[in-house]
Amino acid sequence: AAMRSRAEVDATLQTAKLNPAELLPAVHCLSFGPQAGGGECCLLQLEPGLCAELEAGRSLVIRGEKDEHAVLCSKDKTYEMKIADTSNMLLFVPGCKTPEELNADQASCNIIHSQIAGFSKNYWELRRCRPKLKKLRKLLMEDPYEGPDSQKDQTSTFSKYTTEDLLSLIQASEEEILHQLQVIDACKIEGYWRILDFDYEMKLLNHVTQLIDSESWPLSKVPLCACLEELGSLEPREMIEHILLSYGRKHVDDGEVFFEMHEDKICRAIAQMLLQNAIKFNLSEFEEVWQQSVPEGMTTRLDQLQGLALVDKSSRPETIFLLKVEDLPEDNQERFNSLFGIREKWTEVDITPYIQDLCAEKQTVGALLTKYARSSMLNGVKVYNSRRPIS
Amino acid sequence: SGGAGALAQWVLLELQGEVEPRQSGELAGSLLGDLHYTCEGVPVLIVGHHILYGKVVQLEKPFAVLVKQGGASQPSPTGPHGHYTVTALIKTKLLFKTRPKPIITHVPKKV
Repeated sequence: AAMRSRAEVDATLQTAKLNPAELLPAVHCLSFGPQAGGGECCLLQLEPGLCAELEAGRSLVIRGEKDEHAVLCSKDKTYEMKIADTSNMLLFVPGCKTPEELNADQASCNIIHSQIAGFSKNYWELRRCRPKLKKLRKLLMEDPYEGPDSQKDQTSTFSKYTTEDLLSLIQASEEEILHQLQVIDACKIEGYWRILDFDYEMKLLNHVTQLIDSESWPLSKVPLCACLEELGSLEPREMIEHILLSYGRKHVDDGEVFFEMHEDKICRAIAQMLLQNAIKFNLSEFEEVWQQSVPEGMTTRLDQLQGLALVDKSSRPETIFLLKVEDLPEDNQERFNSLFGIREKWTEVDITPYIQDLCAEKQTVGALLTKYARSSMLNGVKVYNSRRPIS
Repeated sequence: SGGAGALAQWVLLELQGEVEPRQSGELAGSLLGDLHYTCEGVPVLIVGHHILYGKVVQLEKPFAVLVKQGGASQPSPTGPHGHYTVTALIKTKLLFKTRPKPIITHVPKKV
């Protein structure tokens, strides 16, 4: 179609009985661009902060394999994407000026031919969500590192994952992924992210705790250099340093590197080592063996085992069994179904460590319980059970 | 991704109902109408035989315009897969909610 002329525009104004004196001089003649009907453009509604990120030149990434619901990731946040329908038609127009812009630009030409780039009746909406990190552990657990002596690595046919691999497979932002790698004590070996096999990890920890004991070092000040010297012949130096970083807090004193050992984390690891060998344990027997197994100077407490083990106070004698929160489903409803399948009624104190990680940004455990559970009183104590019948 | 250069700012036009070509055939290349603003800044859109009055709205949540790389395809139920580029940002929309005022007249002689 030929471009409209000023004369044609004026004629239309006359027909419409609009007074040009009441209008700004510039007119936009809108037509549909060549690609307009193609459907290649779509609209994404931006949550606060994302617009600024884009303008600063940073990227947003859409992640998800074909069987996963797509998420959008900024540098440090993850969002679910959902289509929102409007009943209206949304047309997107490049180079269309607002009245302010027209008034500011006195020299603007009288007639602006604008091409509509595309149109849509819907757009993508974003909702901040928890990063989907369970898959990260699952991938790294495909092939845990068992140490340099292990024959497995040479003959292993399992995939090993670099940072780039993980970024393309995990539905989370880069910062959330890197943070989680730190949380699960992953380490980079030959460029690949690895998780230590638990037995190998305990072997390394044992080397360190025995050395601390024989040298009578204070638990708060374990020297890195001495550890590397004494243990370097037994294990790779990187692994010795890794275990110290995993179970201690690094600090520098007078130019020398020391580690303040994490009593709770060490006690917890040793508990896991004891508990994984049976279905359940007599609680008092376990507590005795556990205390005897931890390094000199450390005190065991049941609250160190939150999210790792569960005490059954209803059995006689009382028992304890391994229940790791990271083994439970990631989806909220599935998590609650799983927990209520394990135990019919939970106190808030018992269930909190197993649902804490489900809380969204400003959500409380109480809010989750209100949504997914039903409360009742049992022997004067408030307990929670499933909202639906468990098969 | 955003890209290194400054992002273009586009404007959204929100209209009621469907947009259909006057003549049957391709939408691409056909005219929509004339967009004027009154001296007070009220957008006035003349589409066919209708006058639409609207208002300029600053969007609380701006839009990004995504263009799919490598050919168009319908978004799958699980979401948009593939590579997208952010072509432009939209911070302003012209909302035309009012009932169109029909222009009642005979067709004018060609100027």
